[in-house]
Amino acid sequence: MPKRRNSPDVARRNFLKSAGLVGAAALTPAAATAQIAAPRAELQKALPPGPKQIALETQPPGKDPVTQTSSGGDFMVDVIKSLGIEYAVINCASSYRGIHESLINYGKNTMPELITCPHEEIAVHMAQGFAKIDGKPLVMMCHGVVGLQHASMALYNSWCDRVPVMVMIGNITEADKRAPGAEWLHSALDPAAIVRDFLKWDDQPQSLQHYAESTVRAYKLATTPPMAPVLISLDAELQENPIADRESLRIPKVGKVVPPQADSGAIAELAKMLVAADNPVLICDRLARTPDGMKHLVELAETLQCGVVDLGGRMNFPSRHPLNQSFRRAAVDQADVIVGLELNDFWGSVNSFTDRIVRTSHPTAKPGAKMVSLGTRDYLIKSNFQDFARYQDVDLAIGGDGEASLPELTEAVKRLIDPSRKSAYEARGKKLAAAQLASLEQARAAATTGWDASPISVARLSMEVYNTVKDEDWSLVGTSTGNNWPRRLWDFKTPYSWNGGSGGGGIGYTLPASLGAALANKKHGRLTVAIGGDGDFNFAPGTLWTAAHHRIPMLYVVLNNHAYHQEYMYVLAMAGRRNRGVTDVDIGTTLKDPNIDYATVARGFGVHGEGPISDPAELGPALQRALAVVKSGQPALVDVVSEPR
Amino acid sequence: MKRSFALVAAGIVALSVADLPARAQDAPPGNAANGKRVYLADGCFTCHGRVGEGGNYYGVTPTLAKTQLPFEAFKQQLRDPARVMPPFETAVLTDQDAADIYAFLQTLPLGRPAKDIPLLNN
Repeated sequence: MPKRRNSPDVARRNFLKSAGLVGAAALTPAAATAQIAAPRAELQKALPPGPKQIALETQPPGKDPVTQTSSGGDFMVDVIKSLGIEYAVINCASSYRGIHESLINYGKNTMPELITCPHEEIAVHMAQGFAKIDGKPLVMMCHGVVGLQHASMALYNSWCDRVPVMVMIGNITEADKRAPGAEWLHSALDPAAIVRDFLKWDDQPQSLQHYAESTVRAYKLATTPPMAPVLISLDAELQENPIADRESLRIPKVGKVVPPQADSGAIAELAKMLVAADNPVLICDRLARTPDGMKHLVELAETLQCGVVDLGGRMNFPSRHPLNQSFRRAAVDQADVIVGLELNDFWGSVNSFTDRIVRTSHPTAKPGAKMVSLGTRDYLIKSNFQDFARYQDVDLAIGGDGEASLPELTEAVKRLIDPSRKSAYEARGKKLAAAQLASLEQARAAATTGWDASPISVARLSMEVYNTVKDEDWSLVGTSTGNNWPRRLWDFKTPYSWNGGSGGGGIGYTLPASLGAALANKKHGRLTVAIGGDGDFNFAPGTLWTAAHHRIPMLYVVLNNHAYHQEYMYVLAMAGRRNRGVTDVDIGTTLKDPNIDYATVARGFGVHGEGPISDPAELGPALQRALAVVKSGQPALVDVVSEPR
Repeated sequence: MKRSFALVAAGIVALSVADLPARAQDAPPGNAANGKRVYLADGCFTCHGRVGEGGNYYGVTPTLAKTQLPFEAFKQQLRDPARVMPPFETAVLTDQDAADIYAFLQTLPLGRPAKDIPLLNN
């Protein structure tokens, strides 16, 4: 990006003069003349300066200063530091060069430390993955116009995933301060407009005090459920200019923010329904915000001895808990009380939808089943993008953060349970435990077909990866291909063993978001592992350079099925309906001829690469070699030529 | 963009076979080699896997290796499928192709018992 020229504006020069500038003014005309008059020997062959040049370079310095001792950028860094933000994930841009330099030299590149990303979408997705493991947002920085458009897809994913991200963009608001060319192309009247539909809040501060208050407000809003990305537009003049009076600026504090908790009366009503039910079920999606979330849900389920269906938006419930009924649709269909905890799509959980020429749907829940929603999802929806899903009528809609509301619900349930019903509860729990075990055995049996085949079956791939990591403190932070084998077969039991999916279904999420999660896991010494599709990989392969450069350990497995396979199946479905040929649907849906060698790509970015591996017998040893690299603190990639699903 | 599935527990596709002939050996003679070619060329593998191990499309798709589905039920599912499977009518898949695919599926081995695979017992 081009450097901005010194502004010749007289009023601005006067302002700078009054702001304690040093530098060029200290250079006396005599000294300057002496420097010009004594050229170094090696330059003697150069043409001597003409009279015009001599006059220009020997005249006393103008009124425009050339150095400064303070800047708005420094104050902006103070504000960010006050929020305890660990990293700033950035793609550098001239429109925020003022704060960029402050972060490095004034902020000493710590709290936040800069993480260089070769694409804005990588930066946002890293922040998304990080926040879901760490619980805290990162700052993401980019150009206001051309950078934010790159970032927009990842922001949409973060919005749908209800994840906090602190976006800061550069902009030059004063038209007369913009240099000709790029600075006009990269400025906007309202730069946040292009992503406002998927922001919780944004502002473009007009003063440093305004910046401080808006940044702290943005942080507070982003991290209060329902969480979502926020954006602050940083005016370039505000970043770059000296501060007239630092002492007059105040950084507000965030204070203790308490998540909104459900109404006690409503909680008591729900407890009554649950206790009276013969077969209640809890369906959860983005419920667990903190490690306590899983603990609270386990306590409630065990108190009731009821089934839990975890849709996997977060690590809500241990995969092998006897009450986990996630892969048994009957657990929902046969329930008499269905409680949706932080569900985005309640309708989809209690209805069947068939994608045929005539699209049909029908309710699958037991007639007369009572339905209750508990969560904050309904309190942050917007009109344009339809991520709020189909409307589901419920008997009781309780507003309040699911995780924060669970302890009171559990206590209310405990108070209401009649000791005489305890044996009935225990019998229910035993039945569910047997069903859960049967579900696990069924998954194991299903995994056996094609176990030794090449290309490698997805079940084999998943279990080879599990075998490699199971004795480590592992954290699986991505599976992007509809691959549910890990959730069917792995033993997920820690709050960080899973962190959900992309949110908006925008591909290009898995690689960078996994790296963000790996960054969060790094300080805990956890082993981060992800299994991402080849289609997904190709959206943001530069992520690997960030992994190598910042030495972020991560075991990344590419499920290389040479296709955008979901789309492959959809186009095949169209071709079947139209009855005019099904053999060419690989056109536009596959990634072959040539096949991409992802291990070589990885090595090009400075990352250890293994593969391509198509022989299942070779996969385990390759994963072990990659694991050794990851345990040494480096990222590694394993390219596995695999079956479609 | 991908369409999200309504529920992770989306069930295994159930085929209505109760009223149909129940014996696999009643299938017409088929050429397994041609069946393999058609199975791969016509995209059957996209949902059911190259070795009939099953897959995932709006929920889990059935394993087809050594299918126990009688041939007539198999053919009916091709011509007038239940749920979301696309139809494969005679214009794109002849009766002989169907028989060949069926023969190919019978050659595909089932997996060893899960208890004999250490990785499935972790």
